[in-house]
Amino acid sequence: MDVSAQLEAQKSKYKSINVEKQVPLQFDLGLLAGFDVNALEENKLKVETDNYLKSYTRDGTQLLINEIFRLPLTSVQDVGVVAELPKIVTAIPREKPLPKPKPPTRWERFAKLKGIKKNKKSRLIYDERRGEWVPRWGYKGTNDDGANEWLNEARHRRNIEEVEIDASQQLNSAQPQLKSKVNAKVLKKTELRRQITMAKTSTASLGKFDKPVKGEPSNTKGAKRKFESNLGDIQKEKEARLSILNKIIDKKGEILNVRKAIAKNNQQN
Amino acid sequence: MLKTIKPKNARTKRILKKREPKVEENVKTAIFIRGSTTSQVVNDALSDLCRLRRSNSINFTKKNNIHPFDDDTSLDFYCAKNDSSLFVIGSHSKKRPHNLVFGRMFDGQVLDMIEVGIEKAITMNEIKTPKCSMGMKPLFIFNGELFETSQVHKTFKNMMLDFYRGQTMESINVSGLEYVISITATGSITSSDSTVPSTFDGKIFFRVYTIQMTKSGQKVPRVELEDMGPNYEFKFRRTKFAKEEVYKIATKIPKTLKPKKVKNVGVNEIGDKVGRIHVGRQDLGKLQTRKMKGLKRMSEDNDRTEDWSRKKRKA
Repeated sequence: MDVSAQLEAQKSKYKSINVEKQVPLQFDLGLLAGFDVNALEENKLKVETDNYLKSYTRDGTQLLINEIFRLPLTSVQDVGVVAELPKIVTAIPREKPLPKPKPPTRWERFAKLKGIKKNKKSRLIYDERRGEWVPRWGYKGTNDDGANEWLNEARHRRNIEEVEIDASQQLNSAQPQLKSKVNAKVLKKTELRRQITMAKTSTASLGKFDKPVKGEPSNTKGAKRKFESNLGDIQKEKEARLSILNKIIDKKGEILNVRKAIAKNNQQN
Repeated sequence: MLKTIKPKNARTKRILKKREPKVEENVKTAIFIRGSTTSQVVNDALSDLCRLRRSNSINFTKKNNIHPFDDDTSLDFYCAKNDSSLFVIGSHSKKRPHNLVFGRMFDGQVLDMIEVGIEKAITMNEIKTPKCSMGMKPLFIFNGELFETSQVHKTFKNMMLDFYRGQTMESINVSGLEYVISITATGSITSSDSTVPSTFDGKIFFRVYTIQMTKSGQKVPRVELEDMGPNYEFKFRRTKFAKEEVYKIATKIPKTLKPKKVKNVGVNEIGDKVGRIHVGRQDLGKLQTRKMKGLKRMSEDNDRTEDWSRKKRKA
């Protein structure tokens, strides 16, 4: 079966990609450039400049494309056909001179002397338990201390009972050895009340607009100190001061009630 | 003159690091400046040339009193400030109508400049055809033997390649070859000195086309071109070429980028890969060859020879 006729018909359907030139073109494929030294037809240039230039350039570009398709082509996924370009042949000047080699820094000199080499740790590390390469740190890494594991050995902790005893002992030792009438229950209660007040006022509006809880005393604030005016009655002031002095000195030598002082001191500690 | 900036934060440090000389350089930045007086043609030309270069090009809109052939200092300052090494200055005067000066810098100093006059210009907007997506690498076609012989043309060719080549890539997607810049040189050099363009009657045709690839029945497609613009007709005016020594330093390839020579491996005439091995001096008398008993030096005993011949017959 002779298919040459059909092949000819097929070929003639399409336009040719061959171009005839007297002098073959020079190429610099690194720059995607083609250099044509053939003589141009002067009269054609003068008369129908644009059309002649277009057709002439088309020929040159066709040759350039032909040449590009002769380069090693690879088919890259999602991108298409990629041609590997050779290095640039034409000497194009740089914009800045070549960098001068910098003198080694103090550390570099030391490292060279001692033979210290930088050991770069790789991002991935082979985890034998999981049997695959995982990152050394970060997301799904081996550095997470078993936080995501459903079962972990209790490594640094003691028995639960021991821990509980410890906690209660700590609490007891923190409280003062009270000999006075003040007992631990009352102290704890006051402490708790104080903590509640602190927590209440630690919101952004200092607890002013919080919904009040049933049974909670609303006025937990202490009395505000009142001061006398600076520009008050001098006579009254004098009397007040002298009465204080009399109270102290009137006790006939016993300025300090020692018994009361000790009791107060013990209570405070 | 620009004073050297000491980086005070990481951001400025990064910018300075980007600007310092490297072995493999960044893409060159180009600035498009207007002279003290410009015409509409020149303004359009500057903006079109800037558009062709899409990224890494700065179009100055204000007019500046700048005369490149007389005074270098303001030009050096602009280029240093913008970290650019390519420039185009447009101006218009009665003596030099519709003037463009293309130039390059090296190491903060002007390397070379070529002044062209625009004879005819058609802007991109005037040509109502679809434009290619910018940022692609263009193909270049230089027509005319003057680009090989005349120094002006050679320098201009080098400059155009430098201006529009885009980023240096190792491989290119074939479908990304969208447009071609074609520069045609006509005319002949009437004077004997090829560097003097004053008696030069030739023109430079600057054309840009978009490429349409159509089926050709074969692997390589058929190329058709469509006008894209801008289209110019240039005529050379003054030039300033680079000094030999400076150009030599500028085109020096560092050792790291030079292709490595493989020693002792070559290709012979047939095309086979041939390697050469260097063997040291050999003392042929002391060579260890295969031991053949028969070739051993016999003593002066004739009986032995008889035994030998008998042995031989038996075997």
